[in-house]
Amino acid sequence: MSRRQQIANALTAVALAGGIAWLCTAVLGNLGRETDWAKAWQYRESLWIGWWLTLKISLGALLGSIVFGLLFLLGQRSPLPVLRRTCRLFLEFVRDTPLLVHLLFGYFVIFAPLLSRPLADAGFEDKILIGGLLLSLFGGAYLGEILRGGVESIPRAQWESARAVGFSPVQVYRHVIFPQALRRVLPAIAGLFVSLIKDSSLLSVIGVSEYFYNTKNFIARSYAGLEGYVPLALGYLILTLPVAWLSHWLEKRFRHET
Amino acid sequence: MKLEVDRVSKHFGATAALDGLSLHLGEARVLVLIGPSGGGKSTLLRVLGGLEVPDAGSVQVNDHRLSADPAFLQAYRRRNGFLFQQFNLFPHLDARRNITLPLEKVHGHDPTAARELADQALGRFGLLEHAAKLPAQLSGGQQQRAGIARAFAFSPEILFLDEPTSALDPEMTAEVLELIQELAEAGQDIILSTHEMGFAKAVADQVAFVAAGKIEECQPPGRLFASPDSPACQRFLSRVMRY
Repeated sequence: MSRRQQIANALTAVALAGGIAWLCTAVLGNLGRETDWAKAWQYRESLWIGWWLTLKISLGALLGSIVFGLLFLLGQRSPLPVLRRTCRLFLEFVRDTPLLVHLLFGYFVIFAPLLSRPLADAGFEDKILIGGLLLSLFGGAYLGEILRGGVESIPRAQWESARAVGFSPVQVYRHVIFPQALRRVLPAIAGLFVSLIKDSSLLSVIGVSEYFYNTKNFIARSYAGLEGYVPLALGYLILTLPVAWLSHWLEKRFRHET
Repeated sequence: MKLEVDRVSKHFGATAALDGLSLHLGEARVLVLIGPSGGGKSTLLRVLGGLEVPDAGSVQVNDHRLSADPAFLQAYRRRNGFLFQQFNLFPHLDARRNITLPLEKVHGHDPTAARELADQALGRFGLLEHAAKLPAQLSGGQQQRAGIARAFAFSPEILFLDEPTSALDPEMTAEVLELIQELAEAGQDIILSTHEMGFAKAVADQVAFVAAGKIEECQPPGRLFASPDSPACQRFLSRVMRY
């Protein structure tokens, strides 16, 4: 850094710190006296149960979206045109409409009438399972596109070389294409997984009592403000930061490799 | 090796890469394809190597009559080695793993045996010290030699080389050509296309001049380079030999 840049950097730092300090003082000054962290402690059990459910739904949706993503990838590379077109149409629909609509429509119009009774009879929580399924489909649609982009970015010479050494079509994907494609799309996949974790909060609209839903209830009942929102943000950060770190770490490792 | 290629055609869209090409060779160990770019050398090599299925005509290589059946072609490819101009190696695997992976997954060797075979091949081509390097860490010439080592480690019936030195500078070209010559002298059956006329002259048993999707002429190198019969071949040689 040149001397001028150093001065500019220092000045910017002071300005930013000042701005943030002013904002915090203004906000905290407004609700200072009413903030009571004991409220959050009172509701700890419901918050913990909600957070734990969010963790489970997120993990389930990650795995589910991998399964659907691979299926959509295969569908789009299928030799049958009808399968390719149907896949394309479905992906386009999912990607161009809001998740909130999928959840409301998918739950209340499609799956609840079909599956709620049998799932409940079998002792499952239908909302969680159907919500997780819808979230997986949504994530899978994006993952399918990411994977397709990755697979199609591998140069022709690699496909040819893999065929030339005698690999079967499955082996070509398994040993040559996927390892290279995954490296390229890793940041995009990590971004998608972080989004999925955050989007699981939308399951509250169909009444799944996950972290966001329980926090909202806690806030409504106790008239909490900051005591509700700060743990809410922290709870999601605890889930998303490891994914982001892991992806940065993997990215760095692979970059050195190639 | 024996070759029976009968009126083979291959079209890509409106262009005919091979246009009723025929070639009958009773006995040859090293066949070299020469000719202008876009004349069909690569396509012919790819058809012979089982990487491309012709639209029409029949191909027989030794005892194998090539069919369009994917399972047959896959088995056929496993028997032979194929090297492209460049980017042959898998960039995410080191040189040794590039060789052991197909040995294990395609040829069913256990990891120890595969490693032994790979190290033999690498050692023979002077690459053992580079075994743990990724392709990006090797020079172009080393990459091509590692590619040949990979194809050679399977003990291929025929080694197909598609312009193996076109992407290399003169020094690396020499190191790769020396290696190919050594393999040829050791008795390996090879079919290769090249623009290196001196090399073709030195190493070939038969040289085929391929232009406009046909074999214009196929002769032993002494004959073809000294007094080519076809006018197209005369023109081509007089042009490429001028400098």
